[in-house]
Amino acid sequence: MSEDPRILRRPFVAPRFSPRTRRRETVLLILVAIILTVGSVSLSATERVAAGQPILLGPTDPRALAVYLGLLAAVHVAQIAAGRRTDQILLPAVGLLGGIGLLLMERLPQGLVSQDFGGTTLGLGQLQLAWLCIALTVIGVLAVAVRSDAWLRLYKYTWAAAGIGLLVLTVLFGVDVNGERLSLRIGPLSGQPSELLKVILVVFLAGYLSENRALLVQEDTRIGPLRLPPLPYLAPMLAMLAMALGVVVIQRDLGAALLFFAVFLLLLYVATGRLSAVAIGLVLFIVGAAVLYRLVPTVQERVDIWLNPFADPTGAGYQIVQALHAFARGGIVGTGLGAGLPRIGGQLPIPAVETDFPFAALGEELGLAGILAILGLYFVVIERGLRIAAAAPDEFRAILAAGLSLVIGVQAFIIAAGNLKLIPLTGITLPFISYGGSSLLANAIVVGLLLAVSDRGAEAPPATS
Amino acid sequence: MDPTLATLWILRLLFLALIYAFLFGVVRVLIRDLRSASREGTAGLGRLVVVASPGDDPGVGAVFELDALTTIGRDVNNTVVVEDPFASAEHCVLSYRGRAWYVEDRLSTNGTFVNATLVDGTAALGFGDELQVGEVRFRLERGRRR
Repeated sequence: MSEDPRILRRPFVAPRFSPRTRRRETVLLILVAIILTVGSVSLSATERVAAGQPILLGPTDPRALAVYLGLLAAVHVAQIAAGRRTDQILLPAVGLLGGIGLLLMERLPQGLVSQDFGGTTLGLGQLQLAWLCIALTVIGVLAVAVRSDAWLRLYKYTWAAAGIGLLVLTVLFGVDVNGERLSLRIGPLSGQPSELLKVILVVFLAGYLSENRALLVQEDTRIGPLRLPPLPYLAPMLAMLAMALGVVVIQRDLGAALLFFAVFLLLLYVATGRLSAVAIGLVLFIVGAAVLYRLVPTVQERVDIWLNPFADPTGAGYQIVQALHAFARGGIVGTGLGAGLPRIGGQLPIPAVETDFPFAALGEELGLAGILAILGLYFVVIERGLRIAAAAPDEFRAILAAGLSLVIGVQAFIIAAGNLKLIPLTGITLPFISYGGSSLLANAIVVGLLLAVSDRGAEAPPATS
Repeated sequence: MDPTLATLWILRLLFLALIYAFLFGVVRVLIRDLRSASREGTAGLGRLVVVASPGDDPGVGAVFELDALTTIGRDVNNTVVVEDPFASAEHCVLSYRGRAWYVEDRLSTNGTFVNATLVDGTAALGFGDELQVGEVRFRLERGRRR
């Protein structure tokens, strides 16, 4: 049998330089630059007035802002130069979210997080800027360099094994922070593997579901009135999910467990279009939640706080009560960047505001109008992801794009709703805004992959064999 | 009103207004996108792209938009005519049932292959899969909007 002639010829095709303009992205990025500059000026003016100094119209930290906007522009130019036909809305939307996060981290007391690097101490804002730079680089490299998805789809079990291995390592050798064993420390760097695991889970599910979709659509197994896909084909997915959930629950990382389960159900629905699968999943979720409530004291505590945080407003319910007060102080248009979050006894009112409660801080300083706009930005990211999925040439890319965008959407919903006391609070980061390297890195990989999948000039899907 | 306070107010409201201007701009692009997508009509059910064809009829890169029932073979009455010495006159049928594509071998002499596996009767065919008829290999892709 003769080989595909294009595959034989490909190594001899010299790379051509064929730039392609991206007008929409250019316009939107210029707008992002203006917004962030105005935000920065507003922040510095507020801080100067609070300190009793005259207003000087200039950004708080011009260098940080310039570095961030410069890197955004670099990612933009790299895609133009490479002639990529990737999505043009995602980068500005994510860039604006990251920029708002950077402003917030510059505004919070720099001593909340600090790290020493050879004598120089970096504060919260500088560390966040460093991580944002790494994240933008990852987005740019993935968007420009990834031309084929074979490395993802062909090695899904390898990825799954690597992800599980990472979690097991964390359980065995992890460092305890606030009684939760979430981080893995290698030298000066520490990270939360569950953030990376969410990307790996989506890649695995996309690979498995696209390969076995035709089989999963059949309804062989019947349990009472329910008709289920053939069980042998569900088993590997359930095993992977159970392992991920099990380790995460042992680690008490309930937010990640909730995220994994929700994304699993959503992807099962996207791939098969069967509501029965989702219904069974929801029943399983309710049963699981009830069992966990009985068995795990943390879950019980979280639910009790959620039901009535004012039962112990200075103890267990302190964080959520302060967050609710912050939202109330914010009102419709907020107090303005830098004017909220009064110190209580020299401390910020909300503990862990930079990782778990940035949404409450933004709710106070930008008000209802601000957080509605931020939720709008997350909706834009989800819409783009689903559009990319709808336009994808094959099923792996479709399910991958849907899964990647839903992972961001669901995570943002879980933590925003938790901050607002809409659902019990589970510690998880607000994508692109929260402080934290693992979170920014994982979400950068998500955006980079989405951009790569959206490229209309990308390599055709490989034949599976 | 105190000019300092007024400046602060203007800056705060300008920041919020600009974020909404950004959202407005994005939503306008999204709506234009959706409109043009709906004007272009619905996507086809799928398409076959020729990946390899030793006889060059159909040539490599040729695209066939698929109907819900598409026949493939050497006979001119097939939807997709394959001029290949190893293909049978009525080689196989592709059908779109429910939410998925299936291929049925019509007792061809040399068999139909999905991803290099011989089809025995009917087999499911996913997007991205390779279908071989005689020595001609196709890839099933999702339909583009026309």
